[in-house]
Amino acid sequence: MIAALFNILIFPGFLFLSILGLVAEFVDRKLYARLQNRVGPPFFQPLADFLKLLGKEEVVPEEADMRMFNLSPVFALAATVVAYLYIPLWGTKALFYFDGDLIVVLYLLMIPTLTFFLGGWYSRSLFSTIGAVRSITQLFAYEIPLFISLLAPAILANSWSLSAITAYYAAHPWFWLFNLLGFGVALIALLGKLERVPFDIPEAETEIVAGSFTEYSGRLLAYFRMAIDIEVIVGASLLAAVFLPFFLMANPVLGFLFYLIKIFLIIALLALARTVFARLRIDQMIEFCWKYVAPVAFLQVLINLILKGSILR
Amino acid sequence: MKVIDKVINWARLKSPWILHFNTGACNACDIEIIAALTPRFDIERFGIQLKATPRHADVLVCSGPVTRQIRDRLIRIYEQMPQPKFVIAVGTCATSGGVFDGCYNVLGGIDQAIPVNAYIPGCPASPQAIIDGVVKLLQSLEDSMK
Repeated sequence: MIAALFNILIFPGFLFLSILGLVAEFVDRKLYARLQNRVGPPFFQPLADFLKLLGKEEVVPEEADMRMFNLSPVFALAATVVAYLYIPLWGTKALFYFDGDLIVVLYLLMIPTLTFFLGGWYSRSLFSTIGAVRSITQLFAYEIPLFISLLAPAILANSWSLSAITAYYAAHPWFWLFNLLGFGVALIALLGKLERVPFDIPEAETEIVAGSFTEYSGRLLAYFRMAIDIEVIVGASLLAAVFLPFFLMANPVLGFLFYLIKIFLIIALLALARTVFARLRIDQMIEFCWKYVAPVAFLQVLINLILKGSILR
Repeated sequence: MKVIDKVINWARLKSPWILHFNTGACNACDIEIIAALTPRFDIERFGIQLKATPRHADVLVCSGPVTRQIRDRLIRIYEQMPQPKFVIAVGTCATSGGVFDGCYNVLGGIDQAIPVNAYIPGCPASPQAIIDGVVKLLQSLEDSMK
């Protein structure tokens, strides 16, 4: 009972993930600022933003559906935190695992996007409705390449459990090189999932104010922001567990250090994409994902199938 | 309870998100406000971010005299912002009505429609003056809390 509460609230639950999420947001913003040749925010900036939003008045529009409007941010936060429990961090074993938890994690990571849609839709504001429809449209573009690119390493490992996949690649040290194509696809899909530039179409602040979050203020907005921060960590950990399964240590301190290096490498790549690219249009994004990203993901599956049938028999 | 208040106040001072609203300016002050937001001045150092919606904003940055037509919209945007909220009037027109004072279609400064916390005069106010004004507003808030 106490162990379960510890897992939910402290490690690897809300407290640990919140701190890591805030650090990730700081690293992202600071890196973005340095790449633009400016100083950037101080280290406590994400924490100050979060606390300020917690202390602000909460405005719920009269037109909005009270229940959906208030519940969406909580669901977004809960789903991302639960997904983290199934991802192996520095060992080959996650805290909880069963056969098929890869699929569960992918579906849990889909819930935040659905709550963005529901929260935006039930705000009944014009801007948030457009943002909500855009985020669900975008979901159909990136979700399938992400699924396929993550299932390709699973084919090679012969298991749909994240812990078993990590254990397989730890036992066969150089096999992760086969999955580099899939890693690229997953990174692009992660950009779409996190609604980052160049795929920040649902939030496009120069066009549709703030997308789904237009009507959100105070505590609810703070929850949504925290959910996105945690989603960054969970997405990066998922990619690190599947595509970068090396330096897995039994020693928790060293292992944790290498784990941090891996996820911050992925976060740095996301920040680099934010600096380099401009926003695409929604139709360009969908065309890009279906015409180029999805076939590459399928190619990865094909490569892994052929490898499995020929060399690795 | 007191500790929590102190922490929230600290967070408010370190993270003022602004909303820019043109109440009828000639665009000169707006250009200067935009210039203040560019990487050259980098106001993210102070935690200042430009937000597009009044729901996210803490500070309403207004430029220009309040025309009779925009008065209702200004009040509506002000009321859409969640508490606590602050208003900064940028430019001579926003502080007093400037050269438009007394025109048949102009009410006067921003304070004719909504309460104002800080005035930044200048025609147009330079980015340095705008940043200085925001920092002074934050400083006065910090002093008033002590």
